[in-house]
Amino acid sequence: MTTRTAMSKVASVRGRLPKRLTARRLLITISVLLTLLLIVGVFSLAIGSERIELGTVADVIAARLTGRISSASPEHAMIVASIRLPRVLMAITVGAALAVAGAAYQALLRNPLADPGILGVSSGAALGAITATIFTDALPVSRPVAAFVGAAATIAIVYILGQHRQGGGAERLILAGVIINALLSSIVIFLVTTAGARQRSVLSWLIGDMSGETRLLPVVALFVLTGIAAIYLNARGLNLMMTGEEDALVLGVETQRVKLIVYLAASLLTGAAVAVSGAIGFVGLIIPHAVRLAGGSDNRLVIPASAVAGATFLMLADTLARTVIAPRELNIGVVTALVGAPVFIYLLRRTS
Amino acid sequence: MSEARQFKSHGKAAGRHRLASFVLALACALVACSPDRSIHESSRTIVDELGRTIIIPEHAGRIVSLAPSITEALFALGVGGRVAGVTSYCDYPPEATLKEKVGDTLKPNIERIVGIKADLVIVSTSSQLEQYIQNLEGLGIPVYISNPRNLDQVLQSITSMGILVGAEDRARKLVSDMRARIDRVDSSLASAERPRVLFLLGTEPLITVGGGTFMDDLITRAGGRSISTEAGGEYPQYSMETAVAKQPEVIFVQFDEKQLPERLKQTPAGRANRVYHLDDDLVSRPGPRIVDGLEQMAIKIHPEVSWQ
Repeated sequence: MTTRTAMSKVASVRGRLPKRLTARRLLITISVLLTLLLIVGVFSLAIGSERIELGTVADVIAARLTGRISSASPEHAMIVASIRLPRVLMAITVGAALAVAGAAYQALLRNPLADPGILGVSSGAALGAITATIFTDALPVSRPVAAFVGAAATIAIVYILGQHRQGGGAERLILAGVIINALLSSIVIFLVTTAGARQRSVLSWLIGDMSGETRLLPVVALFVLTGIAAIYLNARGLNLMMTGEEDALVLGVETQRVKLIVYLAASLLTGAAVAVSGAIGFVGLIIPHAVRLAGGSDNRLVIPASAVAGATFLMLADTLARTVIAPRELNIGVVTALVGAPVFIYLLRRTS
Repeated sequence: MSEARQFKSHGKAAGRHRLASFVLALACALVACSPDRSIHESSRTIVDELGRTIIIPEHAGRIVSLAPSITEALFALGVGGRVAGVTSYCDYPPEATLKEKVGDTLKPNIERIVGIKADLVIVSTSSQLEQYIQNLEGLGIPVYISNPRNLDQVLQSITSMGILVGAEDRARKLVSDMRARIDRVDSSLASAERPRVLFLLGTEPLITVGGGTFMDDLITRAGGRSISTEAGGEYPQYSMETAVAKQPEVIFVQFDEKQLPERLKQTPAGRANRVYHLDDDLVSRPGPRIVDGLEQMAIKIHPEVSWQ
C-alpha cells in the first residue's frame, strides 16, 4: 500500500516534469500517430453494416479524388463516398476537437480532471445548438456558432463558481461542473421534449451520436482547425502557466491574453464538435492523459499529439458503434464512456 | 451525520432494535394507508392480453384510458360516457379532449388517477406506459393491458375490450366492419408485387420499425415489405448504410417529407418521389382507425391497383 502510494507519487511528479522536447522527438511522435490514424482510417472505411470489398472502397475513394467515375455499383459508391467517408471525416474532426479542448482546459485550469463533458461545457454547447435549431432552422451555420456561445458562457460560469478565496480547489471546480452539467442537461431534455418535431433525440444530444447530417462538415472542420491552431500557438505560454501564473508573468507571458485566447478556442472546439455529434464524453479526458503518459507534458507536443490521437480514438469508437450490433447502431458515447469512465476513476484516485 | 453518531452511542444492538421498530411502524402505517383492497360488491375475473388475471368491477363506470388507441376504441364501443380520464395525447374523437387528463406526454399521474376514483385503468403496450401500472395495482385499481402486435390482434383486442366493458355487441359489429375492410385490401393486393418499404420515425438518428410490432404488420398487410423487419428491437436505431443498401422503393416518414436526409433522396423511393407522410395518428395507433391507416398506406404502396 505505502510503496504503491509512494510510487504513484513519484510517477505523478515525474509526469509533471516536462521531458525535454526536441524537434526530432516531436516529429517522430506525430509521424507515428499519423500512421496509426491512417491505418485506423482504412479499417474504418473498410467495415460497416454493409459488406463492401476493400478494393471497391479504394476504387470509390480514388475515383472521388481523381474525379473519374467509379466502377462500383451506384449503391456501393454512394455508401462509401456519401455515408462512410463523411462520417469517418466527421469522427476525425470531432475527436481532434474534443481531445485538444480537454488538453487546453486541463492546462488552463491546472486540473487533470477537466474535460468538456465533465465541466458541463458540452451540455452548454448542446443547449446553444438546440436553441439555434429551434429558432433558426434555415441557417445551418448558426448551430456551431450558437454551440460556441453556449460553451463559452458555460465555462465562464463554471470557472467563477469553482473559484474560492484561497484559489479554486480541484474538487470545487469539478463539483461546479457537475452541477452546471446536471442543470443544463435538464434544460436540454425539456427543450427537446417540448420542441418535439424533427429534433435529434435527447439521448443523442446528451451522450453523443455520429449518425447525423454531414452537411456541416466543412464549417466544423474550419472551426476546429482555427481552434487547434490558436491553442497550439499558445502552447509555450500554457507550459509556463502550468508552473504558476506569477512565474509565467515574470517570464514575460501575457497570461490574461493567453488565457482568453485558449478559453475561447477551447469553447470553439467544443461548440463545433457538439453541434454535429452531441456531447460525446471522456475523449477530452483520456486522450491528453494518455499522450502525457507516453510523451511528457510539454504542450507543444500534447496539443498536436492529442489532436491526432483523439481523431484516431473517436474514429475507432464510431466504427465500433456502427458495426457491433449492425444494422442497428449504438450511440457513440456508450463506447467512449466504457473506455473513459475507468480511466477517470483511475485519475481521480491518483490525484486525490 | 448526527444521527449516525447517535446510533453509535446507543451501541449496535440498540441501533438495530430501533431500526427494526421503525421499519415495523412504517409498514403498519403503509398498510393502514392503502385503500380498501376488498373486492367490489359484484366483480368478475378476466385475463388481459398479457395473460395476467385481474379482478374488475362488474360494471366499471370510471374508466381511465392511458393510450390514444384505447380511448378511440372505448368511444367506438359506445362507452365514451364511462371514460373518466385520458392522456393528453388522446385527441380523437373530439369529445375525448374534454375528458380529464391524467397523464402528460411523459408519464401518467398516479395521484390524479386515484383522485378521480378510477375503477378500471386500460393501458396499451404500444404507448410503453406499462411500467407504471405496478403502482396502480398496489393501490387496488385493476389494470387491463392491451397488447396488439399485429392487425389481427388489434381486432382481438377490441373484441376483448368489448367484453371488458360489457359492450360485446358493439364490439362484434365494429370488428366485423374492420375485418371486411381489411379483407377488401387483402383481396385487392392478392396478385400485387411487394415493394421494399422503409418506415422512419426519426432522422437523427434514423429510427425505424422492427419486426414483431403492429406497424411492421401494417406494412405487410398494406402490400409492402419492411426492410427493417430483421433489425432486432421494436423501434431500432438504424444504419444509414443499410437503409441505402436495401434500396427502399417507398419511404414513409413521421415528419415533414422535405426533411428526409439527403442521402435517402438517392434511393429508388427518393428518386421516384415516393416519400410520404401519412397521418401519424392513423398508422401509429393500434385502434379502430388503423384500417384507415391501412387503406391509405396500401394506396401509396400500390398506386397501380385499381381501388374503388
